[in-house]
Amino acid sequence: MTSTLPAATSTSSVPAQQSPAHETTPATGPALRFRSSRADLILCGVLLAAIITVQGWNIADYPTLSDDEGTYLAQAWAVQEGRGLAHYTYWYDHPPLGWIQIALLTWIPSLINPEWMTVGSMRTVMLLISAASSVLIYVLARRLALPRWAAGLAMVFFGLSPLSVVLQREIFLDNIAVMWTLLAFCLAASPSRHLWHHFGAGIAAAAAVLTKETMLVVLPALFVTMWRHSHRDTRKFALTGAVTACAMIGLSYPLFALLKGELFPGSGHVSLWDGLEYQMTRPGSGFILDAGTGSYGVLQSWLYYDRVLPLGGLAGALLLLVTFRWSVTARALAGPALTVAILALVAMRPSGYLPAMYIIQALPFLALVLAGGAASVVHAVLRRWRRGEEHRYLTSARYVLATVLALAAAAYVVPRWYDGARTAVTTDANAPYQAASKWLTTRVADPVDTRVLVDDALWLDLVHAGYRPGLGVIWFYKADLDPAVTKTMPDGWRDLDYVVASPTVRRDAVDLPNVKQALEHSTPVVTFGKGDDRIEIRRIDGAGTRGGTR
Amino acid sequence: MLTSVFIAAVSLVLFWMAAFTLWWQMHAWRTPEVLASTRFSRPDGGEGLSFSLLLPARHEQAVLDHTIQRLLESSHADFEIIVIVGHDDPETAEVARKAAARDPRVRVVVDHHEKKNKPKAMNTALPHCTGDVVGVFDAEDQVHPELLAHVDHAFRSTGADVVQGGVQLINFNSSWYSLRNCLEYFFWFRSRLHLHAQKGFIPLGGNTVFVRTDVLREADGWDPDCLAEDCDLGVRLSSRGKKVVVAYDSDMVTREETPGTLMSLLKQRTRWNQGFLQVYRKKDWKQLPAFGQRMLARYTLMTPFLQAASGVLIPLNAAIALFLDVPVGIAFVTFLPAVTALVTFVFEVVGLHDFGKQYGLRVRFIHYLKLVVGGPFYQVLLAGAAVRAVWREQRGRNDWELTSHVGAHLTAATVTRESREDVPA
Repeated sequence: MTSTLPAATSTSSVPAQQSPAHETTPATGPALRFRSSRADLILCGVLLAAIITVQGWNIADYPTLSDDEGTYLAQAWAVQEGRGLAHYTYWYDHPPLGWIQIALLTWIPSLINPEWMTVGSMRTVMLLISAASSVLIYVLARRLALPRWAAGLAMVFFGLSPLSVVLQREIFLDNIAVMWTLLAFCLAASPSRHLWHHFGAGIAAAAAVLTKETMLVVLPALFVTMWRHSHRDTRKFALTGAVTACAMIGLSYPLFALLKGELFPGSGHVSLWDGLEYQMTRPGSGFILDAGTGSYGVLQSWLYYDRVLPLGGLAGALLLLVTFRWSVTARALAGPALTVAILALVAMRPSGYLPAMYIIQALPFLALVLAGGAASVVHAVLRRWRRGEEHRYLTSARYVLATVLALAAAAYVVPRWYDGARTAVTTDANAPYQAASKWLTTRVADPVDTRVLVDDALWLDLVHAGYRPGLGVIWFYKADLDPAVTKTMPDGWRDLDYVVASPTVRRDAVDLPNVKQALEHSTPVVTFGKGDDRIEIRRIDGAGTRGGTR
Repeated sequence: MLTSVFIAAVSLVLFWMAAFTLWWQMHAWRTPEVLASTRFSRPDGGEGLSFSLLLPARHEQAVLDHTIQRLLESSHADFEIIVIVGHDDPETAEVARKAAARDPRVRVVVDHHEKKNKPKAMNTALPHCTGDVVGVFDAEDQVHPELLAHVDHAFRSTGADVVQGGVQLINFNSSWYSLRNCLEYFFWFRSRLHLHAQKGFIPLGGNTVFVRTDVLREADGWDPDCLAEDCDLGVRLSSRGKKVVVAYDSDMVTREETPGTLMSLLKQRTRWNQGFLQVYRKKDWKQLPAFGQRMLARYTLMTPFLQAASGVLIPLNAAIALFLDVPVGIAFVTFLPAVTALVTFVFEVVGLHDFGKQYGLRVRFIHYLKLVVGGPFYQVLLAGAAVRAVWREQRGRNDWELTSHVGAHLTAATVTRESREDVPA
């Protein structure tokens, strides 16, 4: 039997405690262990069940299928089928780890029934991601020293805000990246301050960035969190390890491009460099607060679903950053608050491009700082300026005030979120898509020889219906942008049979000559839905020679 | 296809080896609590044990007196110094006798063996030890005056049978290899040895090691035929379930120097490797109770050879991945060991920084550069020593190759002499 010396017990040299980690005790290990705390497990479990129910109910029919979901799922399908990283040439638009993970998640269901590999049905797997992220946010909140109720509140904000419900249901890379980021933060705030936990945080952070490259901007906040949660004596090893791990994994992406000979631009092949250049030079969508710009529209679309989480979260972050000097909670939540600040500043770039899913990566941190802000306020109301024996009336008054505040907040939030949840579980927004899919599946006589332009969300449906992937059923914009596709269309729109005009196709056709002409030289055979959301199946004029209607 | 599978398999094996080695190397820094536990705890003031300090000296007349004087400055109240000299070495014996005449705590034992080595010398002195605990030092060691008090406390507070203190090479700026050599000691005594103590299998170091006298006698002392008798003693004692405690304090380590020439480093390393091989073949480690312990023993004793192999294989593997046309997925697998090696490199750089901080030494940019650039060359040296060890063992040559030392760690005048050094791989 051998062992090392027991930890020094004298006053000095005991692993020091730091303010953010004040819940841990040095020699016996952390007092807070999520796994062994029954109260935490029950609270987290109950909230998780609620979140999964609200997010999962009616998931296929609401919200409207998005083009991007179709893109990622189709690329995941291509990975599963062994067709490489995409069924069209992979051009380094995003790192591929995101849809490789989707491919893994959907692998078993698609083995059971290949036809489930469509956007509507595969949204179900996003529930796994949501569940993981929700649990991680609870764990993170507890590791950042929030009280139990505030951790639960953060989980509720994150999982039940109508904005979250809408966005987290969709097959977006950002949702997966959020899960990895939360894991990285959890590991960075590990109560045992273990070298390999920090190393793991670096790996998780790299996974997040390789899933969605925009997570890169969050890394400084992660670093700050790790710095605050590491110990003076082991910090240099922990942080260097984390940075090294992150860089190593992150560099695998350029390494991959290098191995394929596609790192730098050259004639006849795509390259990582070109992909980056495209992303960096995307036309800006204007200043977010300028009415009329694209960014303003995106902001309004977020606020349409929920004002509490985005605006309340921003206010919470501001509160925490301002009270950094005095508030323990503010210091504990420095990482999330900084994340919100960074993401807000990036969104404010006047020249930047602001995609609709941008806010997804901010949601967990908005939720954390909002819950932290609430905890801070409650603490101030109940405890601040309280010394020794306080008069009973004053104490009661404090509790009354806290109750009133809580009731007022609930009265504002609950009805709005209830409406959001009801919409989410009852609305059928995808009937036109499903009808269009059914029509194209059953009413076209010879799918194998039929060429049709569709948006990405419908693409897999038609692949299952027997259309040829890639050149038979075509992502509409590839008809203009992918040389491999355009060279099979020497006569332009005349080489096509159908074009499915969904809102996305109509919107983007403006900049795509082939698609535009196909729309102009076609007549609707059947229309599903009404107004701007309608989906028309348009038959190309004079296309009767090949595929016909049954 | 077959090439791909083969390369992937080799890569995965290399990866796990490198990962495990890295994991163990970083043991002390895993958590702040672990780091705190690797230090000596502060003595409570009481002293209960008496020490017999063995000081084998062979042709060390230049430094021996200094070492004895420094040992005599020790703050502990109850110890004797037994200097062991050879019957054919009158100069050293003269220095030892003078010291004994000056201070009654110093005694001289003469070793009459025809072929001399360190284990034989120490076995000769063992019957003369009167203390509760036997400690071993080398003639060129600089020992901290507070060390004995701390060791005394460690024995009494933990009930240990063996206490291993830290040994540290200091002269990191003497040459490119001394830099790496110092860092090897740093990672070994600062970190890895504590893991071994925790797991219950430990190859002891050659000095600053303290064993209860009765335990040592019961084990029949040191193996006179083993080239790594220190490692062997540790393996035998831990296999018998003796409790070993390791403690490292930067201000209380025994300071040593790296071998003066590349050739002497190579010889020294060859001897250790050969010694490890001998210990492996003695099979005492097979008595360890747990499977994990036996695996650790097997792996640790084979380390010099695995290290040599992986030092050659890892770059080769990466080159194959880059220049042969293998699938991208396989290529990624082949990079895993190289990535792990790179992470090890980075931790070595951080370790060098920490080493500088701990010992108040100025580590400059050039040293970091030497560390990184020298890495591959040091690997070649290690591989050479490993091959040489196998070759010598095959030929049955297991005599001591002595290595010459320059007193580079001593602040006083530089001295050159023949000596031998000990400790780890």
